[in-house]
Amino acid sequence: MIDKRTAYTFVKLKPSFWKMIDYTGSSILTVDRLNVFYGSFQAVKDVSFEVRPGEIFGLLGPNGAGKTSTLSAVEGLLKPHSGDIHVAGFNVSKQPLHAKANMGIQLQATSFQPELTITEIIRLFAGIYGVPLTSQRLNAILQDIKLEDAASKRFGQLSGGQQQRVSLVIATIHDPILVMLDEPTTGLDPQSRRQLWGRMEAIREKGHAVLLTTHSMEEAEAVCDRIAIIDHGRVIATNTPEALIELHRNDPNVIAASRKGKITLEDVFIGLTGKTVRA
Amino acid sequence: METKIPKPKDAFLSLMRADFTTQWRNRRAVVMSVLVPTVILISWKGLVDKLGGPFVISISLTIGLTSIGLMGYAISVARDRDKGIFQRLRATPTPNFFIMISRLTVQLAMIVLLVACVFIVGYKFDKITLSPAGYALTFVTGIIGGALYLGLGQSIVGFVKNAETVSSTTRLVYIAFLMLGMFGELNQFPETFNQMVHWSPFGTVRMILTGGMDPHLWNHETTIALFVSVGYAVVFCFLGIKWFRWNSAGA
Repeated sequence: MIDKRTAYTFVKLKPSFWKMIDYTGSSILTVDRLNVFYGSFQAVKDVSFEVRPGEIFGLLGPNGAGKTSTLSAVEGLLKPHSGDIHVAGFNVSKQPLHAKANMGIQLQATSFQPELTITEIIRLFAGIYGVPLTSQRLNAILQDIKLEDAASKRFGQLSGGQQQRVSLVIATIHDPILVMLDEPTTGLDPQSRRQLWGRMEAIREKGHAVLLTTHSMEEAEAVCDRIAIIDHGRVIATNTPEALIELHRNDPNVIAASRKGKITLEDVFIGLTGKTVRA
Repeated sequence: METKIPKPKDAFLSLMRADFTTQWRNRRAVVMSVLVPTVILISWKGLVDKLGGPFVISISLTIGLTSIGLMGYAISVARDRDKGIFQRLRATPTPNFFIMISRLTVQLAMIVLLVACVFIVGYKFDKITLSPAGYALTFVTGIIGGALYLGLGQSIVGFVKNAETVSSTTRLVYIAFLMLGMFGELNQFPETFNQMVHWSPFGTVRMILTGGMDPHLWNHETTIALFVSVGYAVVFCFLGIKWFRWNSAGA
């Protein structure tokens, strides 16, 4: 296990020149005053947060709050109106390839070419990330995700849980320092969800970081070290789940949201974001 | 830990391997792209003496190129955009243009396959033979014509966001081109219509293909048709790239 206090990355800028970034006390991901517009609609408003080494960071919010827009900006899939995003020290706008090489991504609706088999999809992404993939290594990966018998199946033929395992394997095939998972456990059975949590925790154990969006407060409480609650495009609270509960325990809205007397993260979430169902 | 930017060659080869595999698994679409032109070629056997071998082959090739650009390329791009496949690829350290160049390389291979099949069928069934220069030049003009129709497909997939609408639009345009090819230049219509067909994307491609097959007959009008075809291709590609969005939500 890598001690996160001494986690370093050596960044290859040129063949002859190596830059070393020391992550001690610094962030793997920094989002600073991010603003995202769709036409005249502002989806993300001055969002700032950081994700540290060895941390699972949850981004929570109701539907349409701006979570996926924030993630998309970090992933370089949309151009923010303003703001700075750094991944492993690289500016996402100015050094997109370096930033993307340090990220592993599982999109909300991850889809791969439906004509390709699982093996072919893994080979494709290994090739894209420049990861040498021998047959033994490929078999080991398939065994690890318990899909050795489904190697020749196409992605669409897999169950939801199997698809998630393949997506996560592809997101981590290049051992990225930051893994971003957009609602990864939606639609999974409890066994698959627990297994995914275990994989996230394994990433954390290595000193790497996970940025997770989820609608499950149970999940956020179970795996996240810190969370940010985002609503109407703004971050309205950032802290550990325990601290958030403690801080808002006496908030009348939170108490009103409580169903069984005991204040939970879900009560805090509803207390802060309101009871109105979002589109 | 080292930040390893993959070699462009490795990333591109991986994309191409995946795109060729996808194309291979869509064999039915490939067969259809080649089948329609060859059926026309065989069914027009009786017209070879009247219209000339190069004319008949050029009609078949133009319809085949339309099929590749509209039915093959545009529909597959619209589908993959709708499924988020492009977004997933764009989230990797691969330049965006690699993703499209890989796709276009597959279509280029399809164009070469189409031209070869039409030549073989033309020779076997209609006894149409060309000079070596004619065969070589037809591959070149075929690629230029293919670029025009790929550009047209790109502009449709750029302008129309919904995959199903792209599919129906390209089918309509394809049928319109098929009709133009079958009847447009048979001089059975008013002169204005004939001129429109003559200088349409269909007509100019057919002209350069005919000219390419028989270089001795390449004349001033064929040269103008070549420039017009290139012009169409540039305009369609420009609009297609300008309008194109990587996801169907338009972001």
